[in-house]
Formats: sequence, structure tokens, C-alpha cells
Amino acid sequence: MNDKKVVEIKNLVKNYGSRGFQTRVLKGIDLTIYENDFIAIMGPSGSGKTTLLNILSTIDKPTQGTIILDGKDITKIKNRELSKIRQNKIGFIFQDYNLLDTMTLQDNIALPLSLNGVSNTKCIEKTLLLAKEFGLKEHLKKYPYQLSGGQKQRGATCRALISDPEIIFADEPTGALDSKSSRDLLECLKNVNDAHQATILMVTHDAFSASYAKDVYILSDGMIKCKLSKGKDRKEFYDRIIDMQVSLGSDFS
Amino acid sequence: MSMMKLSFLNFKASFKNYLSLIISLSFTVLILLNFQNIIYSDTFDTLGQMNTRNIRIIIDCVTIVLICFMIFFIWYSTNVFLAKRKKEIGIYIFMGLTHSKIGKLYMIETSLIGLTALIIGLIFGIVTSQLFQMILVAVSQISVELHFSWTIKPIIFTVVVYLAIYFIFVIKGYINIVSSSVLDMVTAAKQNEYVKQNKYILLVKAILGITILISGYYMAIKDAGIEVMGNLFIAVVLVIIGVYLLFGGFIPLLFQTLARNKMFLYKHERNLWINNVVFRIKKNYRTYAIVCVLMLCSVTALGSGFAMKNRYEGIVHFRNTYTFQCTSNQADLNEKLRSLIEQDNDIEYGNYLPILNIDTSLIDTLYKNNTYMFVSYSNLKRIAKESNLEFNFPRLKDNEIINVTQLHIMSFANKENITRTIDKKEYKQIAETAIPYLGRFQEKLEFFLVSDDTYQSLKSKGNEIYCYNYKIKDNTNFKASIDELDTIVSETENNYTSYLAVDPSSSDIEWIKIMYSVCIFMFMVFILASGSIIFMKLYNDAFEDKGRYDVLKKLGISKQKLKKSIAHELLFAYLTPFIVMTVSSYFSILALSKVMETNLIFVNIVSVFIIFIVFGLCYSFSIKIYQKNASI
Repeated sequence: MNDKKVVEIKNLVKNYGSRGFQTRVLKGIDLTIYENDFIAIMGPSGSGKTTLLNILSTIDKPTQGTIILDGKDITKIKNRELSKIRQNKIGFIFQDYNLLDTMTLQDNIALPLSLNGVSNTKCIEKTLLLAKEFGLKEHLKKYPYQLSGGQKQRGATCRALISDPEIIFADEPTGALDSKSSRDLLECLKNVNDAHQATILMVTHDAFSASYAKDVYILSDGMIKCKLSKGKDRKEFYDRIIDMQVSLGSDFS
Repeated sequence: MSMMKLSFLNFKASFKNYLSLIISLSFTVLILLNFQNIIYSDTFDTLGQMNTRNIRIIIDCVTIVLICFMIFFIWYSTNVFLAKRKKEIGIYIFMGLTHSKIGKLYMIETSLIGLTALIIGLIFGIVTSQLFQMILVAVSQISVELHFSWTIKPIIFTVVVYLAIYFIFVIKGYINIVSSSVLDMVTAAKQNEYVKQNKYILLVKAILGITILISGYYMAIKDAGIEVMGNLFIAVVLVIIGVYLLFGGFIPLLFQTLARNKMFLYKHERNLWINNVVFRIKKNYRTYAIVCVLMLCSVTALGSGFAMKNRYEGIVHFRNTYTFQCTSNQADLNEKLRSLIEQDNDIEYGNYLPILNIDTSLIDTLYKNNTYMFVSYSNLKRIAKESNLEFNFPRLKDNEIINVTQLHIMSFANKENITRTIDKKEYKQIAETAIPYLGRFQEKLEFFLVSDDTYQSLKSKGNEIYCYNYKIKDNTNFKASIDELDTIVSETENNYTSYLAVDPSSSDIEWIKIMYSVCIFMFMVFILASGSIIFMKLYNDAFEDKGRYDVLKKLGISKQKLKKSIAHELLFAYLTPFIVMTVSSYFSILALSKVMETNLIFVNIVSVFIIFIVFGLCYSFSIKIYQKNASI
């Protein structure tokens, strides 16, 4: 395992509500993500998965605690720098793809890079490379409405990867896909993790999806309950995740 | 909950969204009411029957134009209401309401919006009507006494016209709802049919558009004069079709090609805004075309106004020199004419001189339809002295000419030291004068003052006619001499004589001043309308774009970049119609100049500049609103 820390979360606390009626959603989370990690965060509804992801992706601010991303505490950075970090250091994959319907797949993939002032030749080159890798080369000229869900999500993954981010946050990436497309996408993500040394943090409620990760953290009631690490075999890992789910006794979906 | 209550709640909730539409609808009501009020008020009765009749004709024409506007605005507004409501309507259908009930809901709601606009328009119309008349009279520089009067008729007229149009479109919306499928309604809010269009169809449209537009321009400036009105009509039709095809073909083609060229696209914020333009153009190109045509109308209206005013001032300026002016091919009519006039009137002064008409084919000029006359230096000097007019030009050299011309409204070009070629010989124009040496003739014809020797040498190129001018002592008695002068008119091949009598005190043409101010007013209405049409379009597009900008923000695209991209996109929306209008206006004004026989290039420049300022303001305001609506 690589020793370079990408994200270091210390004592992360998040309260919602006004004074006197506060609910503590995250109750002190400590988590360190190293380079080339593939982490899945699982948990039942209301366990704080989405809140955690929102804070990590700088959309929300924590009540307490620090998050060090690439040597900087992102909880204390001003807005302008935050969007720089979001653009350069973080890649996002959303449940509902969020491709822009106004442009072709190729333009969608190239968008973050082209708006970043990167040279046009490099944009084109990288877009084609990624599209080839994700099996989208024939679809580049199409608009999102002409693509299937799986193709869209793979496109969105390309878009997340194009700026070579330090870490990729995936929010229920398979949530809207059928099982075949889900498997394709997860294979892709795994491949990205293996071949590109990309660091991935995925939030999911689906044990099957989670079994593609290297480590699974189970989040429950605002705290990390346990960590499962993958052995050699994915199937065996899947069974262990299911067992853990059963032992916690809550419905994750 | 009752139907009425539900629609009222909907109306209240959406009032803010529709504010811009309600304001524009009220505005059309206000304008129409103000103009109608002029017809029914007795303000202009004091100007005499002839003027009142002409003013009424002008206002009738304006009314037709305003009603067209109203139709357009109501059509546009009800469409926006329909599109916005259709998705929610889809939800009602799922709840089990029947189509016709939902149709009724839409009708009540839209009627509430329409009535609100009507009432606001009427109230402000009544409040501003006196102010409007005051401004109209002040701009026209006519002296009538304004008294505050109000009749119910203009209100009834406005209300009936407005409601009739509104009702038709509401019914249209109702039928649309009743006959559309549930699926249509649910997906109405996010239809993605407007993406790329077939390249070849666009290419054909683009080529057709440019060809038609250019032939329209050509038709407009090909010939001049009242007799080619037919050509001008064809030109107008061709230009309108051309503009439509340009926006429907050429511009989408251009932007699709740009979007396909990734080397170009992946720079700055182009990837965002060029794709947005391509995405929207199929839905929006009609709006751009309409705005373009509207602005063209506005520039032409202003041009006509100034041409009218010019004509009016010309008539006043030139009619005070002589009462009677005759032209004839006979050189010896002076004594006869004098005796004829003196039967009833005393002549204050009179003179006669030969003038030389040279065919335009020998003269280099843009205005081939004008008539060019040449006068010799000594002759003009003589009649100037006889008519007590100032004359202080130095004796001309043989290669020098002076342009004795009509009044120019606003002339900015340097008329001195320009070179004119007449019969292959170059002459230096050393001065220009509008002193009415030749009375009314000077207003219709273009005169050149040349040295006596040059006049003699040109004599063989043209034909010489004689001009007799008389001013009588008692202007008001000019009619008495008319019967005597009629006897001298002849129109045979080798003997022709005609005369022109001027009534200097006539106020028959006061209505031209009204025409002038109405034209200025229409100019402003047209510009405001074009600005607000684009503004409303963008206002609505912004809501549609909110989701997209949310995604972009999540992806970490900085607000600064998004603002830049929006600025570019909106600039396209304002700038393209503006550029097409600017080019087209040059031709329309040139055509108008030819018809009205006056130079209007300055009006063209000023009006384009004013539109530029108005659009600039709309543009910066649009950016602010767009950012707010898309919540950036």
C-alpha cells in the first residue's frame, strides 16, 4: 500500500439545526485515505453518508474537525480557492450522471479541462484517450439523451478523471443503473484504481457495489462502526459485507 | 379547493415570475390607449379639417402597427404561460383531473394575468395621457391649446381590442391542453429536441437566406423614386425572408461548425457558451429575426420622420422667396407674366434667368433620379440682388462649382473641396449654400453654380429652359392671380410653360410635424419592444439553465468562469440581431433617402447609435438578472 496521504479527516463533527434543537449527524469521524485507495462507505439511511460526502467535496462546512486535502485544511479555505480545489484536486461522479444536455459527450468530458485553460490539443488528446479506455469512442459525437444510462455514467467518470484529480468522490454511482451497466461501471472504476493509481471514495448502500472496493467502512449513526478489507476474492468479500450488514441489523437500502 | 381558488393561488405564486410579461402587456395597452385618446380628444381640432384628417390617418396606421405588436406580445406571453404551466398541469392529470378541467384552470389563471396587465395598463394610460399629449405637441412644435378632457371611447376601444386578442390566444392554449397527451405535458418542461440540425438543410437555408437578403438589398437601392414603390415592397418582403433564413440557417450552421472544431471550442469558455447557443438557436432564431426586423422598422421610422420634417422645413424655408414661379422653354415671357400678375396684384420683386438641365448620365452621383440644373454665376448674382438675398461668393474659376441646394437635416460630411465629374471633366466644389435663390425649385432640384464660361461650354450638353420668379406684395391675395396665370400654361411639344403658386401662410402641412413626432415615438416604441423581447426571452431561458449551472458549480467551475460564459452567450443574443440590423438599415435608409430625395445617412448613424446604447443597457441588465435567475 502507498503511504502518501491524500485526505486526512480528524474528529469530524457536523450538527444540523439551530441552537437548542441541534442534531449531531456526524459524531467525530477519523479517516485517512492514502493514494491508490478504493474506499466504499456504506451505511443505512440517515447514517450521515451524504453529509460526509458533501463536507468532503467542500459543498458543506463541518461544525468541528479538520480535513487535510493535499496538505491544506479545506474547512478553513475561502470560497474562491475552494472552487479551485474542486476543479483541480477532486473528481465527482453523481448518481444522476449530471452530464449537460446542451453538448456532446466529447464536449462534456472535455469541459472541466477546457474551462481550466489547458491547451486545446491536450484536451482533445486526453478526451480521446479516456473515451477509448471506457469504450465510448463511437459515442463521442452523441448527445446525452442519445446515450444509455451506463454510457452516461461512464462518460461522467471520464469527465471526473480528465483533470487527473487527487481523489474521486462517487455518490451512489450505480444508483440509477441496471445490474449489467452497474457491473460494467464498477469494473471501470476498479480498472481506473488499478491502472491509473487513482484514489476513489465511493458512497453506496449496495453491498455488491461495495465489494469492488479495497476497503469498506460501515457508517452508522454518525460514526464509523467498522472497517472491512478485501482479501483475495471479491465474492468472499461480498459475503463478509452481507454478514456485517446482517449483524448490524439495519436495512441499508 | 375550488377551481377559482386554486387558479388564484397559482396566479399569486407565479406573479413575480411573470412580472416582465405583465409589464410588457401593460405597456402595449398604455401606448394604444394614449394614441386612441388623441383621435377622440379635440386637441387638434384647431389645426383645421385637413390637418385633423391627416393626423387621424397617421394614428390609424400607428394603431394597426400597435395592434400587431399587441398580437405578438400576447401570443408570446400566453405561450410562455402555457409552457411553464404544462408540466404542473401534467401532475394534475396524474391526480385525476380531466383535460377540460385543467384547460379551464389554465384559462382562469391566464385570464387573471391578462386582466391584471390590462388594469395596470389602463390606469397608467389614463394617468399619463395628458403628459403624452403634451410631449407630442412639444416635440411637434405646433401651437395648440391643451385642455384636459376625457372620453370613454378610447378606453372601450383599447379594452375590446385587447380582450379580443387575448381571448383568442387563451382559447388556443385551452385547445392545446385539451388535445395534448399526458406524456407531452409531463415532458413539456424538458424536451431535448433542440440539439443539432441537419447540416445540409442548414446549408441550403443559409445560401438561400444570404442570396435573398442580398437581392433584397439590391432591390431596395436599384432604382429610386416614387414610381418604383413596387420594388421597395418586394425589397421589404425579401429582406424579411432573408433575415429569417439567415437566423434559421446561416447562424446555426456557423455555430455548429464552430462547435465541431474542437481546436477552437476548447479554449476559454467557448465549450460552454457556444454549445448553449447551438442548443437554443432552433427555438430562439425566430425571436432574433423578429427583433432584427423590428429594429429595422424603428430605424426606418425615424428616417421617415426626419425626412418628413426636412420636407416641411424645406417647404417653409423656400416658399417665402417667391409667390409665383414659372418655367418655360420660351425666353420672352417676362413682360407677359408681369402684366398678367399685375392685373390683380402688385409685384414686390421679380426676375428671370436661363437654367441648364443636364442629363444625370453625364454626372457622377448616387441619386440618379434627381434632376441637375446649372446656373451661371452672373445670372444668379443678378437675381440675388433683385430678390434682396445675400450673395457673397467670389467669381468662380472655370473648374469650380458651388452647390445651390435644398436644406439638409443634419449634414456632417464636408461639402467643400469635393470633386465632381460632369461630362468627364472634373470640377472642384468650393462651397454649398441653401439660400433660397431659386425658391421652391431649389427644394426639388439640385442646382450647380458655374462660371459663365463653363455654362456656355456645357450648353451644348443639355437643354436650356427659362425660369421666371415673382413675389407679390400681399401674399394673402395670391389666389386672385391664379385665373390669369392659368391661361399661360401650355404643354405642347415645342412650347411648354408651367407655373407654381405658393401660399406662404398656409397651415395645411402642420400635420407633417405630428407625423415627425409620431415617427420618433414609434422609433422608441420599436426599440423598447425589441430590447424587451430579447430581455424576456433570456429571462425565461435563465430559469431553464439553473439546473445546468448547479451541476457546473458542483464540478468546481468557478463563478467567475460561469459569469464570463453567460456574458458571452447573452452578448450573442443582443449582438447578432444588432449587426444584421446595422447592415440592413444602411440599405433601407439609402432606399428611403432616394424616395424622399434627401440624405439620411446621419439619421442612420444616430439611430444605430441609440439602439446600441439601449441594447447595451438591456445587455448589462440581462446579465444581472440571468445570474440571479440561474442563481450564480
